Amino acid sequence: MSVFQHEYRPYEGPTTPLWKRPVVLARYGLAEAWGSKITIGLAVLALLPCLVELVLMYLADNPLAKMLVVGNSKVLEINERFFFNLLEVQSWFALVLAAWIAPRLVSFDLGDNAMPILLSHPISRFGYVLGKFIALVLSLSYVTWIPLLLLFVYQCYASPVPWAVGHLGVAFGLFTGALVWIVVLSLVCLAVSSWVKWRVVATGAIFAVVFVPAGVGGMVSAILRTRWGFLLNVPVVMSELWMRLLGVPPFGNPMFWFPNIAIVSVLVVTSLLCVAVLNARIRAREVVRG
Amino acid sequence: MTDLIRTVQQQPWSLWWIQFRRFARIEIRRNLITKRAWWIYFLAFVPAVIIFIHLIVDRHQPSSMTEDTNILAGIVQLYYVRLGVFFGCLGIFSRLIRGEMIERSLHYYLLSPVRREVILLAKFFAGSVSAVVLFGVALTFDFVLMYIGYGGAGQDFMLHGAGPGQFEAYLLIMVLACLGYGSLFLMLSLMFRNPMPGALLLWGWEAINPVMPSLLQKFSVASYLRHLMPVSVPAEGIFALLTVETEPVAAWVAVIGLLALIAVVLIYCCIRMRRLEIRYTTD
Repeated sequence: MSVFQHEYRPYEGPTTPLWKRPVVLARYGLAEAWGSKITIGLAVLALLPCLVELVLMYLADNPLAKMLVVGNSKVLEINERFFFNLLEVQSWFALVLAAWIAPRLVSFDLGDNAMPILLSHPISRFGYVLGKFIALVLSLSYVTWIPLLLLFVYQCYASPVPWAVGHLGVAFGLFTGALVWIVVLSLVCLAVSSWVKWRVVATGAIFAVVFVPAGVGGMVSAILRTRWGFLLNVPVVMSELWMRLLGVPPFGNPMFWFPNIAIVSVLVVTSLLCVAVLNARIRAREVVRG
Repeated sequence: MTDLIRTVQQQPWSLWWIQFRRFARIEIRRNLITKRAWWIYFLAFVPAVIIFIHLIVDRHQPSSMTEDTNILAGIVQLYYVRLGVFFGCLGIFSRLIRGEMIERSLHYYLLSPVRREVILLAKFFAGSVSAVVLFGVALTFDFVLMYIGYGGAGQDFMLHGAGPGQFEAYLLIMVLACLGYGSLFLMLSLMFRNPMPGALLLWGWEAINPVMPSLLQKFSVASYLRHLMPVSVPAEGIFALLTVETEPVAAWVAVIGLLALIAVVLIYCCIRMRRLEIRYTTD
């Protein structure tokens, strides 16, 4: 086709810096994720355990109230185990929230064959995934390390005895443990959402990807009489990691006490698998079925 | 009463039967012979692969046969019923109606001169056949591979001992699990645009059901199936403390109870199907 107009000139104005471009996608991703009433409902629900724990902390830190409610019992003791339990509960809520949000971030783009248009903009495939990843990480932070650290700060303030200095490791453990879970969970959810493509199916598939390997791991351990099968159980592996990060004395089934290198290897391999899936699926192509 | 019988007899049953068979055949082919179904094959056959490795790698001492029997019971009760069959049926039965809506192909069926109930029941039948065939064959592999390593003692157990009874019970559990979960997922896919939250709530309900009061335990597929288990698998850890033991229910009561639940759900699905409207712009 002939081109009659030769007036085209490349854009010479200011451009968005390279590092800022994924932030644009993250901003739209956040708007998409939090535009749903179900997301808001889940987020509110996820904060209820924190509210309950806050009341318990108040009771534990108030000698009079504590005496009235539990007497001299040590039931209400705010220690590493207390925050460990809370971290576990919040992480389950993070899984539910991620299973709802992640498909909204990715599946629409893939399902509607929008990737060629999106990637024709000045943004790389890495930038696209990073933008969605940031949106998911920020959303999950809201129900994990942010409320947990706020509770930690409250405990430091309200404790009748000096507490903060002796428990700084708990704060570090809460932040690191939650962050590791958020990163792994975000990668898993984005990978599954990009693989499955249908939003309706992706939510169920995320749960299946977390829990079916756990069941398979249990079977491997039972049938082959080995404890290493439990390494496929991501919730168990994460619980072990959190216990060590928070300095909780080991409890529960000794079969789950894995060496640190095994736990780290599982998480790294899982993350690399997810990156490989994202690399394979996030491409500027359109699938047309005849 | 006579009028009712006459009306029933006047219906074109032979035509409906032909339509039912054709629809079912198409759906079975779509469910079983497709690359998209690989993950359902994985869910069904992964225990068989692990047991096969056990057969090759481990030595089979006669004393460990009881332990293997308990492990097989655990696989059926904890893996198949709670994970494998659950997620497999979720994939198969959610796709029957909701999947067609997403692919924007359901209106072809609805525009054809076929009663909607026939379409729905044919789809349910096809989904059930697919699930039962897959998980039934997988269970047969599991059972044979688990005991074949014990040589003569294993063969004797499978053919003459307690084996045949246990195998029949497991097969019955598998069939009922496929039908029960299948009917519920079909209903959820007819009721909601996104059936997954409902399905996951059901999954959570089934998981915590053993610690519920006995009255609430009746509203669960897994609780009926638990009464049919030939070898009971006790709960461990904190769940063992919280588990509420209900009175044992006769096998026939459990089977009829579950079949009644399936029938009620299917009748409701037929009613929903008659009123089904598709708006692809919103769906």
